[in-house]
Amino acid sequence: MAETQFAESQTIRVRVNGQEYEREVPVRRLLADFIRHDLGLTATHLGCEHGVCGACTIIMDGESVRSCLLFAVQADGAELRTLEGLADGDEMHPLQQAFWDNHALQCGFCTSGFLMSAVDLLNKNPQPSEEEIRHGLSGNLCRCTGYANIVKAVQAVAEQSQS
Amino acid sequence: MTASQGGKRVNMSSTSDEMLDTLTLSGKMVGAQVRRVEDPRVLLGKSQYVDDLDLPNSVALAFVRSPYAHARIVSIDAGTAQNHSGVQLVLTGADIAEAIKPLRVEYDPAKAPTHKPCDWPVLAQDKVRFVGEAVAVVVATDRYAAEDAAGLIDVEYEPLEPVSDVEQALAADAPLVHEEWGDNVMQTLQAEIGDVTTAFQTADCVVSERLTTGRHMALPMETRGCVASFERATDTLTVWSSTQVPHVLRSHIALVLDFPEHHIRVVAPDVGGGFGQKAHLFPEEAVAAYLAHRLGRPVKWIEDRRENLSASLHAKQQVAQAELAVRRDGTILGIRGRFVGDVGAYSEYPWGSAFEAGHAASSMPGPYKTPAFSFEAVSVATNKTTIGVYRGVGLPIGVLAMERLMDLAAHKLGLDPAEIRLRNMIRKEEHPYTTIIGAEVESGSHRESLQKALDILGYQECRGEQQRARAQGRYMGIGIGCYLEGTAPSSAAFASMGLHLGGYESATVRMDVAGKVTVLVGTHSHGQSHETTLAQVAADELGVPLADIRIIEGDTNAVPYGMGTWGSRSAVTGGGAISKASEKLRSKMLRIASRMTEVPDDDLELAAGMIRRKADATPLLPIKEFAYRVLVQAGDLPQDEEPGLDATAHYEPPPSTHANATHIALAEVDSDTGKVTLLRYIVVEDCGTIINPTVVDGQIQGGVAQGIGSALYEHALYDENGQFLTGTLMDYLIPTAVDVPQVEIGHIESPSPHTPHGIKGAGEGGAIAPPAAIANAVADALAPFEVRVNAIPLTPERVLDWIEQRKAAA
Repeated sequence: MAETQFAESQTIRVRVNGQEYEREVPVRRLLADFIRHDLGLTATHLGCEHGVCGACTIIMDGESVRSCLLFAVQADGAELRTLEGLADGDEMHPLQQAFWDNHALQCGFCTSGFLMSAVDLLNKNPQPSEEEIRHGLSGNLCRCTGYANIVKAVQAVAEQSQS
Repeated sequence: MTASQGGKRVNMSSTSDEMLDTLTLSGKMVGAQVRRVEDPRVLLGKSQYVDDLDLPNSVALAFVRSPYAHARIVSIDAGTAQNHSGVQLVLTGADIAEAIKPLRVEYDPAKAPTHKPCDWPVLAQDKVRFVGEAVAVVVATDRYAAEDAAGLIDVEYEPLEPVSDVEQALAADAPLVHEEWGDNVMQTLQAEIGDVTTAFQTADCVVSERLTTGRHMALPMETRGCVASFERATDTLTVWSSTQVPHVLRSHIALVLDFPEHHIRVVAPDVGGGFGQKAHLFPEEAVAAYLAHRLGRPVKWIEDRRENLSASLHAKQQVAQAELAVRRDGTILGIRGRFVGDVGAYSEYPWGSAFEAGHAASSMPGPYKTPAFSFEAVSVATNKTTIGVYRGVGLPIGVLAMERLMDLAAHKLGLDPAEIRLRNMIRKEEHPYTTIIGAEVESGSHRESLQKALDILGYQECRGEQQRARAQGRYMGIGIGCYLEGTAPSSAAFASMGLHLGGYESATVRMDVAGKVTVLVGTHSHGQSHETTLAQVAADELGVPLADIRIIEGDTNAVPYGMGTWGSRSAVTGGGAISKASEKLRSKMLRIASRMTEVPDDDLELAAGMIRRKADATPLLPIKEFAYRVLVQAGDLPQDEEPGLDATAHYEPPPSTHANATHIALAEVDSDTGKVTLLRYIVVEDCGTIINPTVVDGQIQGGVAQGIGSALYEHALYDENGQFLTGTLMDYLIPTAVDVPQVEIGHIESPSPHTPHGIKGAGEGGAIAPPAAIANAVADALAPFEVRVNAIPLTPERVLDWIEQRKAAA
């Protein structure tokens, strides 16, 4: 069988948190590594690199994705949002505020992924029940909090948006 | 949200720095429900974990790991790898044998005469002893290239027969993990206290059980990792590590590399969870530090999750044989326990893996008055990943054994499980109570916590509901788990076991010219909220607002020598060191202020940012102005007074600070599938004086979640060849948001009479009792089938198998 020749690298353009980037990346570079180490946006964390823990969750073209399961080249032309793009300067997003108010984080390593998953959850379902929140966040693992305060924080934001 | 302080509730829904200031001005911070100081930087993505550190010119490491549980290394061919693009260097065990000492845990032979030390080579020498053991290391320009090259290294192994479980390990003809031992026993601890034989001979009722437990893991969401860098300009080797124990790491890197410790700096940046796993020096960290010095380039090692699962540390796997002798009325006469711990291939450094089984055994009597107790703890080496300390250490297993026995005895005697416990518990008026193992339980609320937990549950109503459910073919059960936990172990406690570890802590408090306070302390927060809770302690000690206090941990060049964070120690020992250092600073401040104000120093106090007259709280001098005068206008200081406004103290905790709690699980078992669902979970805990109720609740909820994992899901599995089978998070299951109920938490505060503010430890407790409470709930639910619940995790497969077996037998 003839060996297929792949390009070693490729130039991609992405818009991350409103800012345009054009970079040449090795074709096998993970999107997560690209975001963290090439763009220096280190709020996105890697907990398992096999798509289970959800720590690397970001928003890509309006959908939450696991940036450890994508290559950077797959994000060519995409609009990405990471935790760094959630707040308005130092003015926290309501979810960030609610996480603070409800003690929804301890070590903080999984927090970025939870926040981005919660953003996606509330976008799609602004008034989720507790059960819907728990299911909506069940693809993110946290080893510190036991989840209860994370669920409360998301509930608090849902209630705010209702009132 | 509301904050309770001195009975006053303060609305905290719009807490700001000003509000925090107001709180300080109006009352004590210890006990106040303040939001975490550390959260904004984490929530805004500004925190810095070790992999976030990208130093210029750095190289990455990848380790070649053994695919065999037990094998002789015949040859290693790294030729192809060495020529791979980007590769700087490949090293094998032979290359570093002279340069890096093996990790070797030595106990004091006089105190631990049966303990056998072993060498854990940082890269395997001659043979490998577990799947995942590091055999070689590749240094390359980035992690991609390093991992590519690691795959090109050809290691030839001669497989040896593996030791895959403790029973095989203890057989007379077992293969040996460490040949020089002559058998596979790392340590045997035995004790008989009181007349156990007579207790069992004269008992009205004896119950016994053989229990097996899963092989658990701490599983922090951030894996292990470090960055090491040697700076020629300052002749300093700096190691940024995801560690719980910065100074311990520094000392042991110095020891294994034979490198001058005063030229090593360890920094623990933000750390993504530890739970015990990161309270060690690991082979990979020693290799990274060595390479940074050798290459003169920064070296980064970040393990992947498979490495974390297979090659970091496991925990807690034991086989327990336990017996309980009681009188007809349920009074305990004697306890026997034999715990055989499967410690894996090596010994966790610097603790020693024999720590686990000994802790399980000695925890059995717990809060129960026990006249006779014998135990044996046998730590056995196998060809598996080494066992390490993990939240609660042996207690979840010892408590599981004891609490199963209490339920079995109650059942046999026709007593209520709550009643048999109440009859045997240490009573409040009996404190200080010396237990059968010689621990002085200074204060506590054993009966009260159980009673309160039953009240929260609505015990009698729940029993009625259980009966009604059973009539409908639904199997609900109530399970109780009670424990007594010695928190914040002292240096003497470690010495008595022969361990080379300290239990003390150190802190420096330093006031600047603006009257603001920097606290440098040797503990380390990786989720425990020290920037908030330790600041609350300092705020009360020095009378300054919380917002004017900064807690600094984790940098050995900045903070005094300390032991880090583990063992539910930091509130007691970090808080204790801060209180002690603050006391020194405070008395100096009041002495000087007395000269300035012409008020006797014992009539002065520091409060609300002021130096005040104690009798009527009259403000005399703002601390800010005072600090400026002392530090800047130093010429006006009294001649006999030493300049400066800082103080350092080292704090040795008392021999014991005992926390206690009762957990109750209400579970339902689906008899068709074996699935266990937790309907409710109640904890009534007593960690003495609470510094911050929000933080304590968070520790409990999180600890319970880990305990639920231990009870229901988690098991690091090996096959009979010692092959590791749970190398992904789809195989090693931890609880998700749908598996953990909101824990209903009650508090009782029995302050320690021996610690500043009466503080006891709170970090581990949540994880200690869930295996006991949940196993008891499942046994209670399945009582109609007479199922023997004698193993965890309680997976659907296992539970269904028990039900089917009983149905077949009946």
